[in-house]
Amino acid sequence: MRPPHVGLTLRIIAVLVVLGIAVFPLYWMFVTALTNNSELFADKARLVPDFSQFGVFIDALAEGKATTWLRNSLVIAAGTTVLSIGLGIPLGYALSRFSFRGKALVAVVLLFTQMLPEALMVVPLFALFRRFDLLDSLGGLILVNSAFVLPIVALILKGAIDGLPRELEESARVDGARPLTVLTRINVPLIAPSLAATAVIAFFHAWNEYVFAVTFIFTPGMQPASVGIANFIGELGTPIQTVMAVAFMFTAPAVVFYLFVQKYVVAGMTAGAVKG
Amino acid sequence: MRLHRVRRSMVAAASVTCMAVALLTGCGSDGGSEGGVTKLTFAASTLGDPGRGPLLTKWLEEFNKSQSKVQVSAAAVPYPTFGQTILTQMGSGKGPDLIRFDMPEFEAASDAGLIAPLNDLIDVSKYDLLKQPDQFMVHDGQRHGIIFEASNYAMFYNADLIPKPPTNYEEFFNTAKSLTKGDTYGLAFRQTEAEEAGVWQDIFNYVYGFGGAWSDGQKLTINSPANLKGLQAFKDLYDAKVIPRGADAATFRRMFAEGKVGMELNNGGYVTATRGQNADLNFNVAPIPFPVRKQGAILAPIVINEASPAKEAAATFIKWALEPNNQVKLQEILGASSVATVTKRSPEQLQKTPFLTVFDDLTESSLPQIVQGFEAKTPDIRKIVVQNVVAALQGTVDLKTALDRAQQQASQLVG
Repeated sequence: MRPPHVGLTLRIIAVLVVLGIAVFPLYWMFVTALTNNSELFADKARLVPDFSQFGVFIDALAEGKATTWLRNSLVIAAGTTVLSIGLGIPLGYALSRFSFRGKALVAVVLLFTQMLPEALMVVPLFALFRRFDLLDSLGGLILVNSAFVLPIVALILKGAIDGLPRELEESARVDGARPLTVLTRINVPLIAPSLAATAVIAFFHAWNEYVFAVTFIFTPGMQPASVGIANFIGELGTPIQTVMAVAFMFTAPAVVFYLFVQKYVVAGMTAGAVKG
Repeated sequence: MRLHRVRRSMVAAASVTCMAVALLTGCGSDGGSEGGVTKLTFAASTLGDPGRGPLLTKWLEEFNKSQSKVQVSAAAVPYPTFGQTILTQMGSGKGPDLIRFDMPEFEAASDAGLIAPLNDLIDVSKYDLLKQPDQFMVHDGQRHGIIFEASNYAMFYNADLIPKPPTNYEEFFNTAKSLTKGDTYGLAFRQTEAEEAGVWQDIFNYVYGFGGAWSDGQKLTINSPANLKGLQAFKDLYDAKVIPRGADAATFRRMFAEGKVGMELNNGGYVTATRGQNADLNFNVAPIPFPVRKQGAILAPIVINEASPAKEAAATFIKWALEPNNQVKLQEILGASSVATVTKRSPEQLQKTPFLTVFDDLTESSLPQIVQGFEAKTPDIRKIVVQNVVAALQGTVDLKTALDRAQQQASQLVG
């Protein structure tokens, strides 16, 4: 008979393995950033960071470019998250609660937009944004990112609202609440876990977006970090340690954001799983 | 209590939304002219190079100091998507005022009418332009560009690892093979579709170095026996595992700078870039040891965007760049490359870099990496050829079939 602690040990090992796979790329970036030139392509890879090379992080920040890129990324990602959720809530609510002609078609069209590759939309959107003077602005990127992420946000929120008992809304209406009040004061607090999940999706989409950012932004000081890092890749040479240092700093805020909303996301994933 | 929390969250949400709206309306682009000063942007992929980029930026600053009416700043466009990004911007009537293009994108932009003709903006008769590269700047009597950089391809080798450079392909192959052990590789070249433009530049030397050509000027000759021979030589090196497979140019060039790669075929611009990464590397240069003395050349014209509202001001910058003193400075920054005009190298420069003459001697036998007779279609043909050659490298199809397929697809494309 197997001792009871063996199962637990195996589970812990499995979790550690999965955790290692997830965290290793981040660790590898950090170690590479702190590897000196002679060891960069050595036969045996360095597995422990050489903290005497920490100056690469300070140099990357000292120029000021990296902090500007990170700030721009943060503005774009936060703006996209707010806008897409702000528009996704009423859209998801309408799809969930109202009956209107073409409702199924709207849902299908929303899904269809997720099948369009960004590269296909660059040229037409560039012309459109030029017409409305939205090029070379963070606001333009917030708009375009929101447009791409809004359908998935709306569909997730529709699913969450579908799961709410209609009786709650009816009770509120009996007490004189208007539809907007019902939405904001009854439904929104109840779908907070799903909101957190969609916030993660929207934030990460905008944080990592490259194609629109590289095409729509001309001023170096307006570029987000996704484009800024690519600027280090030269035609004939690339400062690998600097790229890794900036890439590591680029990853960190996104990880912090995820950790911040993680508990809501987990709650969102399990919501309704034990509905009686 | 709960009501208060909800109200607070609503106020917070409203505030954030207001901020978003403010961002949407308040982050528009600046104009091109401010206080009587015309502000221009100059996009060049070289501005991102560790060795040459900072020097080129200083060179731009010298222009800005030289006069008060026009100011030029670098537009940061990442190298990996440079051509695609700039052409998209120009195609929609925007983009930088001045652009340093590579030839395939130059030809495509020129054919699409995206480049401003320079005939009325710059009187080139005032300058002693290098005839061989300059001939490619004029289309049907219209001048579309001025050479910013002309750079011939040669063989770079680590002089510590290779005391005597190979003089024929067999020696080249054997040297690469004997050097490959442990963490050191004998050779490096680009071999993935992700680096399409780079693979094209690399295979160009094998095709022309073995007597082949992409066209005869009238029709495509992608699957000709000479091309097959040259590309088979390329594939043999790949199959012999003498290159760091999967490594991109950024990685293997850094490896060369650190003494982990023995040889590389590259252009003159690589001299400054390599020294920028490792000033102590003992490297040398020799002609590419292939049967035919014909190799690629990077011709990089500077052009004015047809959509630029300040073409005259942009021409002011080009005229400044063409002045003899500024040409000398630019040539020194660019390393072993040539510039637009006949510019002598200083004795100090030749002493510091004796192999500069190797590059200069190759000018007559170097060709721009375009498909002659199908210049504007070069980017599309390049895509087809690279896709098929990479498929052959990866073993999904044999090389002859891959070239036959590329010939058929490209012929359909050009009609």
